[in-house]
Amino acid sequence: MELQIKDLSKTYSNGVHALKNVSLNIPQGMFGLLGPNGAGKSSLMRTLATLQQADSGSIMLDDIDILKDKGRVREILGYLPQEFGVYPKISSYNMLNHIASLKGISNKDERKDLVESLLNKTNLWDVRNKSLGTYSGGMKQRFGIAQALIGEPKLIVVDEPTAGLDPAERVRFHNLLSEIGENTIVILSTHIVDDVSNLCNNMAIICLGEVVAQGKPSALIENVKGKVWKKTIDKSEIENYKQEMQVISTHLKSGDTVIHVLNDSQPDSSFEACEADLEDVYFAEISSRMDTALA
Amino acid sequence: MFKEIFLFELKYRFKRPATWAYFGILLVFGLIVAISGDVPASEKAYVNAPTTITRMLSIISIFGIMLASAIMGVPIYRDIEHKTENYYFSYPISEKGYILGRFLGSLCILFLVSLGFQIGLIIGFAIGPNAGFTEAERFITLNLWHYIQPTLLIYWTNFFFAGAIFFALVTMTKRIMLAYAGGAILFIGYLITLTLTQDIENKNLVSILDPFAFETFNNITRYWTPVEQNTQILPLTSALIWNRLLWVGIGLVAFLFTFFRFDFIKFLNKKFKTKKKHENLDASNPTAALTKLPKVSQVFSSGLSIKLLFDLAKMEFKNIIRDNFFRAILIAALAFLLFDAFFGFPIYGTPSLPLTYYMLEVKNFNYSILIFVLIVFMTGEVLHRERGVNYDQIFGSLPLKNRIVYASKFLALVMISFMLVNLVLLSGVLAQTLQGYFNYQFDMYFTDLYLIEFPKYITFILLAFFVHSIVTKKFMGHVIAIAIWALLFGINAFLKVDNNLYLYGYTPGYTVSDMNGFGHFGKALFWFKTYWLACGGVLLVIGYLFWKRGTDSGRKARWQLAKERLNLRTISTGILLLVVFIGSGAFINHNTKTINKYKNEEEGEIAQAAYEKTLSKYDKIAQPKVIDVKVNADLTPENRSARIKTTYLMVNKTNENIDSLHINWGAEGLLKKEVNTFTIEGKSPKLGNSYDDFGYEIYALDKPLKPNDTVTMVLDITGYYKGFPNEGTGSAIVYNGTFLNDNFFPSFGYNANAEMTSDLDRKKYGLPIKDYQLPEQDDPWGTSNLLFNDDADYITFEGTVSTAPDQIAVMPGYLQKEWEENGRRYFTYKMEGDLDFFYNISSANYNIHKDIWTGKNGEKVNIEIFHHPTHTYNIDRFVKGVKHSMDYFSENYGPYQYRQMRILEFPRYATFAQSFPNTVPFSESFGWVGDFSDPEDLDYVYTVTSHEVAHQWWGHQITPSATRGSNQVSESMAEYSSLMVMKKEYGIDAMQDFLKRELDNYLRGRANESKFEKTLLDNDTQAYVWYRKGGLILYALQDLIGEDNLNSGFKAYTEAARYRQKAPFTTTKEWYHYMNSVTPDSLKYYLEDSFEKITLYSNKISKASYKKLADDKYKVTITVESSKEYFDGLGKLLKTSEKPNLLDIGIFDNDIKNSNGMTIKSPLFIKKIWVKPGESTFTFTTDKLPVKAGIDPYNKMIDRIPDDNLISVEEETD
Repeated sequence: MELQIKDLSKTYSNGVHALKNVSLNIPQGMFGLLGPNGAGKSSLMRTLATLQQADSGSIMLDDIDILKDKGRVREILGYLPQEFGVYPKISSYNMLNHIASLKGISNKDERKDLVESLLNKTNLWDVRNKSLGTYSGGMKQRFGIAQALIGEPKLIVVDEPTAGLDPAERVRFHNLLSEIGENTIVILSTHIVDDVSNLCNNMAIICLGEVVAQGKPSALIENVKGKVWKKTIDKSEIENYKQEMQVISTHLKSGDTVIHVLNDSQPDSSFEACEADLEDVYFAEISSRMDTALA
Repeated sequence: MFKEIFLFELKYRFKRPATWAYFGILLVFGLIVAISGDVPASEKAYVNAPTTITRMLSIISIFGIMLASAIMGVPIYRDIEHKTENYYFSYPISEKGYILGRFLGSLCILFLVSLGFQIGLIIGFAIGPNAGFTEAERFITLNLWHYIQPTLLIYWTNFFFAGAIFFALVTMTKRIMLAYAGGAILFIGYLITLTLTQDIENKNLVSILDPFAFETFNNITRYWTPVEQNTQILPLTSALIWNRLLWVGIGLVAFLFTFFRFDFIKFLNKKFKTKKKHENLDASNPTAALTKLPKVSQVFSSGLSIKLLFDLAKMEFKNIIRDNFFRAILIAALAFLLFDAFFGFPIYGTPSLPLTYYMLEVKNFNYSILIFVLIVFMTGEVLHRERGVNYDQIFGSLPLKNRIVYASKFLALVMISFMLVNLVLLSGVLAQTLQGYFNYQFDMYFTDLYLIEFPKYITFILLAFFVHSIVTKKFMGHVIAIAIWALLFGINAFLKVDNNLYLYGYTPGYTVSDMNGFGHFGKALFWFKTYWLACGGVLLVIGYLFWKRGTDSGRKARWQLAKERLNLRTISTGILLLVVFIGSGAFINHNTKTINKYKNEEEGEIAQAAYEKTLSKYDKIAQPKVIDVKVNADLTPENRSARIKTTYLMVNKTNENIDSLHINWGAEGLLKKEVNTFTIEGKSPKLGNSYDDFGYEIYALDKPLKPNDTVTMVLDITGYYKGFPNEGTGSAIVYNGTFLNDNFFPSFGYNANAEMTSDLDRKKYGLPIKDYQLPEQDDPWGTSNLLFNDDADYITFEGTVSTAPDQIAVMPGYLQKEWEENGRRYFTYKMEGDLDFFYNISSANYNIHKDIWTGKNGEKVNIEIFHHPTHTYNIDRFVKGVKHSMDYFSENYGPYQYRQMRILEFPRYATFAQSFPNTVPFSESFGWVGDFSDPEDLDYVYTVTSHEVAHQWWGHQITPSATRGSNQVSESMAEYSSLMVMKKEYGIDAMQDFLKRELDNYLRGRANESKFEKTLLDNDTQAYVWYRKGGLILYALQDLIGEDNLNSGFKAYTEAARYRQKAPFTTTKEWYHYMNSVTPDSLKYYLEDSFEKITLYSNKISKASYKKLADDKYKVTITVESSKEYFDGLGKLLKTSEKPNLLDIGIFDNDIKNSNGMTIKSPLFIKKIWVKPGESTFTFTTDKLPVKAGIDPYNKMIDRIPDDNLISVEEETD
C-alpha cells in the first residue's frame, strides 16, 4: 500500500497559496511531515482527510482517488486534527462508542470491547465518564488518537499532535504512536524535529507550500554530514556571519550564542565540526527560504 | 483608568461591523415606516403625530431587548470569549474603572445605535409627503421635541433598564446564554402584564409594573381623539413617573450591585477549580500503550446507513435538548402555553371553559413566537454543531455519507418539532385537568397537532435549514433567516400582499368547532401544506448541494462540491419536488383565482370603486317591494349545497310605473349560484342590461308595473361551493351548522352599503367624501324604507325545508309538519303575522331544550333552545334571560308578538348573536361554553340574550326607517333594555362593572375614529356609539328621571310606532320626542348634551375627611372637582360648560358581599346634588364610620378618568 501525491496545489479564496505542486510518495509505516508554522502542513493533512478540495493534482491511495472517492477513503481513515473538541456534556466513553458506531462497527459487543481497550490503551479508563471539556491537554490528545484508531484504519493522519504537550506527555504520545501496526500508513505532521527523529522511517520537509526534501531521515542526515560547523560567537556579530555564510541555526548555550553553519568545508579554524542531526537538516532546508528568527 | 477603558470601548465598537449593522437595520426600518406612512394610527391622526412617534418608539424599545442584550451582554464576556481575561486583568487597572468604562462605553454605543430609528423616521417623514404612499396632508412639519421627549422618557430609559440587567447578568455569571435567557424572561414578564390588562381593574397596577411603560403609555393615551393625538405630547402622570423611577431604579441597582461586587480574582477563579479536580486521576501507566486492540468488523451497507441516520438524529436530538438555551426557551414556551390556556379566552372578562379547541388555539399566541425563534436558532445550532465545538474535522472525515449526515440533522429537527407539537397536547390536557374539565377530545388534538401544526413547523425548519446550509456563519444565518421572516411579515402586513401562494409557509386560516369539527378546511390546508413542503423540499435539496462538510468554505470549493453532489439522485429528487411544488401551486391558483376569484386588497378596492362609479346611478330607483315569501329549500349539508326555490309576491308601493327589475346578485363570491328557474308572472323575463363584474342584471318587465300592482316572481337557485379559496371560510352551508340568511338571494337595485367608506380610500379613487351612509330624518326615500332591508317593508312567510336525516332545519315561524321522505328530513314552517324581510335558514344536529314562559295575563311563549348535544352547560342562563326579558319587556313596552322564542347555536366561524323574528342564532363560542362559576364575572349569556330578545320589540316591532340615527332606535334601545333586565337581576353594583366596560369601549372607539364621531340622533355607522354610548346614556337617563317614567315614554312610543305599515316609518326624531315628553325641563340639559352633542364629564373627588361628633355621628367633608366639556366629532374641544349638573354624591362603608357572592358597595349616604363646575365642598353627617366617598361613584356619566371618582375618607386632625 502506498500513498502517492502528485502535483497537488491549493489556493484559498483569500489568496493564500497553501500548496504548490506538492508531490510525495508515502510508503507504509510512520511518515513525518516536518515544517514550520504556516508551511501548508495542515492544508495537506486536511486534504488527505477529505475535508478540503484541491485545485489541481491527485492523491492516490493504491487505487483509491482520495480527491474524488471520499467515501472509500473515509472508511479506512483515522484522523486526528490539530485542534478538536467533541459534543459538550458527553463522556469520553459514550463519545468513543458513538464514533465507533459511525465508523461502521455495528456489533455492540465488539464495539464495547474496542472502546474499553482504547480507553485502557490511552490510559483514560479512570476518566472515561468525564467529558472532554474537563481533560488536560495531554489527556485530550490521547483521546484524539484513541478515536483515530477506531476501525483499524489503513491511513492515519495526525496533525501536530504534540504541540503544547509537556515532555512527559510527549513521550507517552510517542509510545502510543509507535504501537500502531506496521502495515498502516501514518502521516504525522509536526514542527518538532524530535517527533520525527524518534518515530519516523520516512519523512519530508515542507516549507511555504513546497516539499523541499524527502527521504529517510538517515539519508537526509547523510547529505549534510560533514558540512555542519559550529561556533560560539558574540551576539552582536551574528548579522555579519549571516551575510557571509549560511547560518542555519542559532542556539543559546549557557548564555553564549552558538551558531550552526552549513558549508562544504570548514569555514575557518574558529569553527569546529559538528555531528549533524535531523535538526540541522531541517534548518538547513528552511533557513535558506525564510528568515528563521531562532534563538 | 476609566477614561482609557471607556474610550477604548467606544473605538472598538465603532470598528465593529455589528454596531453599524444594528444601526443600519433601525435606520432602514425607520425609513420604511416613515416613507410608507404605514404607522399604527387612525386615518385622522397625522402619521408623524407626537403620540404616534411615542408609540412607535415604545414598541421598538420593547423589541430593543434583543439589541440591549446583544450590546450590553458582551463587553465583559468579550474577555472570556477571547481568553484575554488572564492577562488583561494583570494590567494596572482597577475593577471599578474596568466595569464602569465597559458599561458606560457600551451604554453610549447602545444609545447611539438606537438613534438609528429616530434618524430613519425624521428623514423618512421628510421624504414621505413626496413619495406618494400616504397623502401628503397626513404629514406635519418636524418638531424635534416630539422625538426628544419620548426618547428620554421611554426609549432610552427602557434601553438603560434592559441593558443594565443584561450587563449585570453576564458579568456576574459569566454566561452569555443568560443574556438571551434574560431576554426571554423579560419578554415573558412583559407579555404577562399585557394579558393582565385584559382585566380593566388592574390598569393602574399595570401602568406602574410594565417595565417598558408601553401599557402606561396606552393607559394615558387610550382615549385620546385624533386631534389630541396630533397635538399633545405624553404628560408626566404620576403613574408614568413612578414607573420610570421604578424601572430605572432597578436597572441602576443591578448595575451598582455589579459595580461593587465585581472582583478580578473571583471572576477568574472558577476555571482552575474544575481543571484541578481531575489532574490526579491521570496517573501514568507505562504499559497502557501496549494494550492490544481487538479485531472488529466494519460494515458500510445501506441498511446500516439507515440505522446510522437514526443514531445520528438521536444523538443530535439529545444535543439539542441538552442545550440550556433550548431548555430556557422551552420552559418559557410551556409557561406561556399554560398561562394562555388559563387566561386566554375571556368574553367580557368572563372565562370560557377549557375546551380542546381553545387549548389548541393557545399555540397561536405567544407560543408561536417562541417556537419560531427556537426553530431558527436550533437549526443554526444543529447545522453548526460540529464546527461550534471543534469536532467538525473528526466528524467530517468519518465514513458517513453526506446525505446521511445532512438528513440526520434534518430528522433531529423534525423530532424536535414533534416534541414541540406534543408539548401543546401536554399543556392542554394539563390545563384542562387542573381546571377540572375532563372532556379531552384527543382526536381533535391529534388531527390539529399532527396533521396541521406539525407540517407547519417542518416548513419553518426547511427554510431555516436552507439558509443555515448556504450561509456558513451561524450568526449571519440567524440574521438572514429572521430577516426573511420579517420580510414576509412586512410584505404581508405593510404591502398588503395576502395571497398565500406568494408568502413562504403561509396557509389559509382555519377554525375548529365542536359542531363542525375541522369542517371544510382540510382540502385547502392539504394543498397549501403540500405546496410549501415541496417548496421547502426543493430548498432542502439546494441546501444539500452547498452544505459545508469539512473545512473549505471558499466559493470555488463549494461550487465544486455542489457539482459533485449534483448526481442523478439529487437531480431526480429535486425535480420531483419541483414538479410537486409547481403542480400544487398551479392547482391552488386554479382554485383560488380562477374558481374563487381571489382579489388582492388593491384589486378589491378598484372593483369596489368601479361598482359605485358604474352603478350608483341606480341608487334609490323605484323597485317593487316583497310582501309575501314562500320558500322551498332542500339543503344537502353532506356536500355543502342547497337548492332553494322562493316565490315572491311583490307590489309597487311607489307612485311611479316600474318598467324593469334590477337584480343584484353581488360580485361572484365563494358560494356559487346557479339559476334553475327564474320567472316573473310565469314567464322567463328578458335580460336587458347586465354588469357581469358586479353581478347586476336589469330585466325589462313585459308591461310596466303600475302603482299598487302586484307581481309574482319565482327564483329557484342552487348554491354550492367549488374548490377552495385563498382565505375565508364560506361557512353559510357546512356539514353541521348551516346558517343561511336571505342574502342567499339577490337584492333589488343598487346597494349603497357595498360602497367604500374610508375618506382616504374614496379620495384615492376619485369618489366624493361621504359623511353619512343614510339620508336625513325627513328624507322621503329614507322614511319610506326600512333600515334592515329596503326590498320590503313587512312580509308574510311560510316554507318547507329538507335536510340531512340526522339534522334539524329551522326557518321563521311555527313548525307545522315534520316528516321523512327519500332519506331526507322535512320541516314545514309558517309565520303568523308580519315580520321584516330578514330571516335565516339553519340546519344542524341539534338537541332541543324546551321551556315555557307564562305572562301576567296567562299568555304562553314556548322557549326552545337548539344546541349542540354536548353544549348543555349554560342552557338555564339562556332560558332565564328569555324569561326575565319577556317579563320586563311585555310589562314596560307591550306584548310579545309571537308564541315562541327560539335560540339556535351555530358554528364559531363568527362570534355574534343576532336577532331574527322569534329566532336568535348564537355563535358556538359566544356563551354556550362560557364558565360562569365566579359570581363576580359578568353573566353575558344572560345580558346578550336579553339584548337579542329586546330586538323582538326594538327592531322587529318598532322597525326604524332607513334614515340617520335609526340604528339607535334598535341597538341603543336593545342595549338599554338588557341593562334594565340585568339591573333587576344583579343589582346596580354589577351594572357598574359592565358600564365601565361600556365606557372604556366607547372612549376607545371614539379615539380610533377614522371619520368623525356622530351623535346619538344621527349616527348611522358607528357601533361604539349605538351600543356603548347609547347604553350608557339611556342608563343614566332612567337614573336621572326615573326608570318607570322613562319607560312610560317608551311605551307610548311603542304604541305609536309598532308594526307601522305605511311610510313614513319611524326615526330618531320621533324617539327623541317621546323621551323629551317625559323629561322635566330642569333635566332637559342632559338630553341635549347626550343626544345632540358630544359631551364628556371630568368628575373627581380631591379630598374627603371626617370628624367624629359627640353623638356617635360623623361629620364628613368632601371636596369635588367637576367639569363638563363639549367636543366636535374630531375630538376638538368646543366649549366648557358653566352650568351646574345633577350628579350622585355618595359616602360608603366597606364593600360587602351580597347573597350571590358578588362584591357590592355599601352606601351610607347617596344623593343627587346639583354640582357647579369647578371645585365644590360639601358636608354631610353619617351614622357610621365613613370609609369611602365619591362623586358619581357608580360611573354613570361619561368620564375619561372614572377611577378618581372615589377615594378613602381620612380622619381629620386638628
